[in-house]
Amino acid sequence: MSELSVKHLLGIKYLNEKDIQLIFETADHFKEVINRAIKKVPSLRDITIANIFFENSTRTRLSFELAEKRLSADVINFSAAQSSVKKGETLIDTVNNILSMKVDMVVMRHPNPGAGIFLAKHVNASIVNAGDGAHEHPTQALLDSYSIREKLGDVAGKNVVIVGDILHSRVALSNIFALQLQGANVKVCGPRTLLPKHVESLGVGVETDLVKALNWCDVANMLRIQNERMDISYFPTTREYTQQFGINKNLLESLEKEIVIMHPGPINRGVEITSDVADSGQSIILDQVENGVAIRMAVIYLLASKIK
Amino acid sequence: MNVLLKSVKLIDPANKANHLKKRDILIKNGRIERLAARIETGSNIRVIQQKGLCVSRGWFDSGVSFGEPGFEERETIANGLATAARSGFTTIVLNPNTHPKPDSSGAIIFLKKSAEGNAVDLIPLGSLTVKSSGVDLAELYDMHNAGAGGFYDFKSPIENSNLLKIALQYSQNFGGLVYSFPLDRKLAPKGIVHEGASSTRLGLKGIPNLAENLQIKRDLDILEYSGGKLHIPTISSGAAVKHIEEAKKKGLNISCSVAIHNLWFTDEELEAFDSNYKVLPPLRTREDQKMLIKAVKDGVIDFVTTDHTPMDIEEKRLEFDNAGYGSLGLENAFGVLNQLFGTEMAVDLLTKGKERYGVANLPIEVSEEACLSLFDPDVSYQLNKDDLYSTSKNSMYLGEELKGKAIGIIANNQLII
Repeated sequence: MSELSVKHLLGIKYLNEKDIQLIFETADHFKEVINRAIKKVPSLRDITIANIFFENSTRTRLSFELAEKRLSADVINFSAAQSSVKKGETLIDTVNNILSMKVDMVVMRHPNPGAGIFLAKHVNASIVNAGDGAHEHPTQALLDSYSIREKLGDVAGKNVVIVGDILHSRVALSNIFALQLQGANVKVCGPRTLLPKHVESLGVGVETDLVKALNWCDVANMLRIQNERMDISYFPTTREYTQQFGINKNLLESLEKEIVIMHPGPINRGVEITSDVADSGQSIILDQVENGVAIRMAVIYLLASKIK
Repeated sequence: MNVLLKSVKLIDPANKANHLKKRDILIKNGRIERLAARIETGSNIRVIQQKGLCVSRGWFDSGVSFGEPGFEERETIANGLATAARSGFTTIVLNPNTHPKPDSSGAIIFLKKSAEGNAVDLIPLGSLTVKSSGVDLAELYDMHNAGAGGFYDFKSPIENSNLLKIALQYSQNFGGLVYSFPLDRKLAPKGIVHEGASSTRLGLKGIPNLAENLQIKRDLDILEYSGGKLHIPTISSGAAVKHIEEAKKKGLNISCSVAIHNLWFTDEELEAFDSNYKVLPPLRTREDQKMLIKAVKDGVIDFVTTDHTPMDIEEKRLEFDNAGYGSLGLENAFGVLNQLFGTEMAVDLLTKGKERYGVANLPIEVSEEACLSLFDPDVSYQLNKDDLYSTSKNSMYLGEELKGKAIGIIANNQLII
């Protein structure tokens, strides 16, 4: 039986192309499962998973929790607001305390880049990175690629532009790694202030003209402006940002070809994307959410099979 | 202390007659009594004979941190000085990063007294400003008289340009040395690593070279205006070197140092988020590394420093963002420099900088006080935890293949090996 080359899912850059294919094939199966009348399989009845979230999250946490429950795993949730982290406990101690209760796998979101990698070195459990600072968000990138594959048949050779706040975005970084691994061409687009100075070193193209970027691409992944991560103003007003980097129906219809619109959510309607675009037939935003559950089921299933 | 060094090779370019020659050195009561090709003595003298043993003038480091007072769990003065001795250093300049900060003559006297009777001489630096808060000048003259070697708000940039100007002017009548840490924080408010390809891949906040270069340019302009003695510690950006070079051509009283780890490592080491590689200034690119090595060879960078910074495990075994800055550096200093520059230049670099701090560079000659570093330049080894004498074990050099090892010192009438 095929298995992943890794014990943890810490980032896309630690995976190879075969891992991604395996995750997608497994997700195909689980997608069929979650569309059955009985949406649940007994695969992980003997596995306990802790969802540890040191940062706020609604959709990612729900998606993971649902994925775990549909695999029949036992699930515990833990968020920083209720934790002893605020009392001065270290990350290792916090997680080891939870693991002492016989937990097999940890799904962790954390504000610090590399937190999952650090944890994997120091605790004895399988770690799934659900977002670590501005580093990686591997399951998001997997579900994004999976959604492109579902919509366009293949990821290889496709032109994908990621638009918006690339500087603070783990979604962008993981997407770049995942898309490149599968042979897609990637550009980033946004105001220069929100593009990392050395972004070209990742092997991506840079386009600061949204119309040109959209005319080039097959898929546009529109990112949210992460005001909560910004310590200073990177652009004068939201209005001005939208004028340059927001996508609306007129712009979409003026393009030379029909492109696919994606968004990792939550959407700021009227900022990076207008409602008529988000809700249009070209948008696959809700498919992404559905695929998120299937992809996370696949990742957890495949990692759990390495524990056994 | 009476000791006979048997058949040791002298590395002492200033002394042409003995340089690179094997000699016996008889030391009695801390002074060099005889220096000859062969010396026979009675049985009451301790004889040191070891294959490959070399001797040079005592080594000097312009920037070492311990922890006492306030952070004794990192390192005490006693064990810190013992580490320096076993790493071949006879004099160290102690960074002012204790708690409380050494911003008064009383604090300087405490540090001097703590090192009294030790084989290694300790020159404390005082804080430039009260509590190193960057607001009001500390009592520089009083600290100078108590033995402070210079004034430094440890790794805190002087944000207020006028404060630097005043410090440089005020310290002139007593020849005080002012340190300015090369970083414009406004350009890197949350930066912790070099801004480049690695930081982009890892999602870590970057510190661009620009933040260092701009601060150095400002400092040099202020120095040109105010006069005074300025030291820029631990430069890390290759491009910064040319500003220093130009300032020296203008005759400004400027010196600078580079941390040895910036000559040995680059930001490519960060890939595994290992907090032992978290240092300030950060590890930079291969290009910077190349330019810094060249600047050391050309003498534009005045001296190298270990930037030895013990950090206990509680401060390092954390997420990269939350871990403390710093790595050990004393224990591996000779091994790294010997490999990078060859033995003669390594020794030259390790004996440079003394005059800037008023430290005598004692020659290896009969009737002089013995101030010697002992080392073996030919031994190859992989640095492991047993090679670390420090209380803390946060060394980024663990696992590195090195050539050349310090053996100890003879200084202040003591032999430490």
